Amino acid sequence: MTENLTIYEPDNALKKGYLNIFKEIGRDLKNNRWLTWQLFKRDFLAAYKQSFIGILWAFIIPLVSVGTFIILKQSGVFDYGSIAVAYPIYAVLGMAFWSLFSTGLIGCSNSLVRAGPTIVKINFSKKSLVIASIGQSLVSFLIQFILLCILFVIYGFIPNIAILLIIPLIIPILLLTLGLGFLVSILNGIIRDAGNLLSVLITFLMFLTPVLYEIPNVGILLQISMYNPVYYLISAPRELILSGTMSNWIGFMISSILSVVIFIFCLILFHLTETRVTERI
Amino acid sequence: MDEELAIKVEHVSKKYCKSIKRSMWYGIKDITRNIVGLGSHSEKLRKDEFWAVNDVSFEVKKGEILGIIGPNGSGKTTLLKLLNGIFWPDKGKITIKGKVGALIEVGAGFHPMLTGRQNVYINGAILGMNKKEIDEKFDSIIKFADIGDFIDVPVKYYSSGMFIRLGFAVAVHRDPDILLVDEVLAVGDRNFQIKCFRKMHELKKTQDMSIVIVSHNEYVMREYCKTCIVLNKGKNIFYGESEAAISFYINNIVKEREIREQNKEAIHNKEIIKEISFIDSLGNIVQTIPTGEKLIIEFDYETKEKIRSPIFGISFYDYQGLFTGFWNSYENIKLPDIINKGKIRVTINNFDLPVGSYRYAVVVCEEEESNVLEWRDFEEKLIVERPQNTRGLLKLKQTWEVIK
Repeated sequence: MTENLTIYEPDNALKKGYLNIFKEIGRDLKNNRWLTWQLFKRDFLAAYKQSFIGILWAFIIPLVSVGTFIILKQSGVFDYGSIAVAYPIYAVLGMAFWSLFSTGLIGCSNSLVRAGPTIVKINFSKKSLVIASIGQSLVSFLIQFILLCILFVIYGFIPNIAILLIIPLIIPILLLTLGLGFLVSILNGIIRDAGNLLSVLITFLMFLTPVLYEIPNVGILLQISMYNPVYYLISAPRELILSGTMSNWIGFMISSILSVVIFIFCLILFHLTETRVTERI
Repeated sequence: MDEELAIKVEHVSKKYCKSIKRSMWYGIKDITRNIVGLGSHSEKLRKDEFWAVNDVSFEVKKGEILGIIGPNGSGKTTLLKLLNGIFWPDKGKITIKGKVGALIEVGAGFHPMLTGRQNVYINGAILGMNKKEIDEKFDSIIKFADIGDFIDVPVKYYSSGMFIRLGFAVAVHRDPDILLVDEVLAVGDRNFQIKCFRKMHELKKTQDMSIVIVSHNEYVMREYCKTCIVLNKGKNIFYGESEAAISFYINNIVKEREIREQNKEAIHNKEIIKEISFIDSLGNIVQTIPTGEKLIIEFDYETKEKIRSPIFGISFYDYQGLFTGFWNSYENIKLPDIINKGKIRVTINNFDLPVGSYRYAVVVCEEEESNVLEWRDFEEKLIVERPQNTRGLLKLKQTWEVIK
């Protein structure tokens, strides 16, 4: 029998000091890797077992969005600016990054609420729930990446060698998503409005972030986007893969550092406050 | 913490908020305070907050079984959640030595679309087992659940019984140092319940497992728990030996239950019976009698009108309202007509009701059993105790002799 003493007190996590908090978080993440994997597998298998088309959905959705914008451009309603490559490639690559962020974030916001009845009765790592919910959006990203490669072949376009760096390139946006995901999962667990608000904001944000179009030269949108980290985290890797240059690398660096900071901050926040959700959900 | 202890609960309190909207607001406030490093001042009650658990203290030694009894809403489940680490106390401290397992939510994490086999792994992971452990115990789990080939069928096709058996099978194989059980053993058929109890016993013996059981069931408490706490409105009002705790609970807390009445029609309900007394073999008036001992029951009556050939009877109902024992004069003696005040007595040489607490009802009839004059439920109880050196619920008379 192990000599492990567990102590529960009011404001439990605070009492232990920040060094201990980091150690606890580290231990929590390390011990629950298999649990996280199992939770992800469960949601993945369950989602695709129930659907006939299954995995193909991940192909269809970006195609529909991109197709819609092409039609709009054709009709003169919408102008995506001057783009060096074929629009579908530009758009699908942008959408892949964007949906990693958006579906990941929405998935996280619902992760605790969905498991509500269970987390109130069994004590298991809630961080694992949040992390596992990102897994779905990672899978979608992978599929959209495959779609992208197919488009490369269709258009005869050879991407820059930087495409091999795809994994490190998605890490910043992944950290941002996960970090904000921890935050929103707690807020949504306490006030359901948070999740609804998030959905509305995300839709808004998709239009207002230069993902499916080039950043304009003048106007409000330019001003906002200059300070929008998501813009940099999507457009900079895209530019690198398509043309081998990164004109906004300073913006990208700053956004990446910001993402790491947000991730760490929100992870700690989650660790300190997760029981507030189980008290109320 | 003391070497021998598995659980130590010191002056623990937990508050809840009655209003949902306010609760959300408090949640945000508490979170914000925690982030900036301030305590949440949880000892104070804000508007709409109340103590669900209020200043509870107790200890559980290694290998001990503790029972928690109390009416609905007394804080039992909240206390169990605190022990399980679902959330933290607002006052006080809980210290736990070892791994905690719970037989609380059966089939946690089960997804209907996945097969039983896949769900065993999910459920096991959620309960805290790792892959190696589940692999090793897999065959034993399947055998315990006894669902045969269905293990590879999606869980949504299981009957509720199979679902529960599988969930239980996983939970019971977790081998924790401390097991928390929440009245969940009321599910499943009898065979299965027996299997579960047996497995719990086995675990207890081989690993010195400590158990905390929350239940309403007197029999479970008597059989398994050495010590009990009684909770009421969040407070710990009794902490001691099971028999005493159960008596305390019954005498002070249990609200009167409706006794199923058999002859509700044709009752004239006159006030004939004035008092019922129970007397033991030494002549003392008692409220408690050991099972199997001699008991004398006296009926004090008063009637202005003459009652011809009265019949007196008394029925006993156990804690669940089950009609258990019945004594009546009709089968034994024809009583003379009665009028004014008087006393009737029945002597029962061996009061063989099983150990437990009983409410009683008294009936008075005239001439025939169908002609009921009065049927009265009494609010007091007769407690039947377990005599020294008795096993089980009855002490039956027996004579042993060598025949050959």
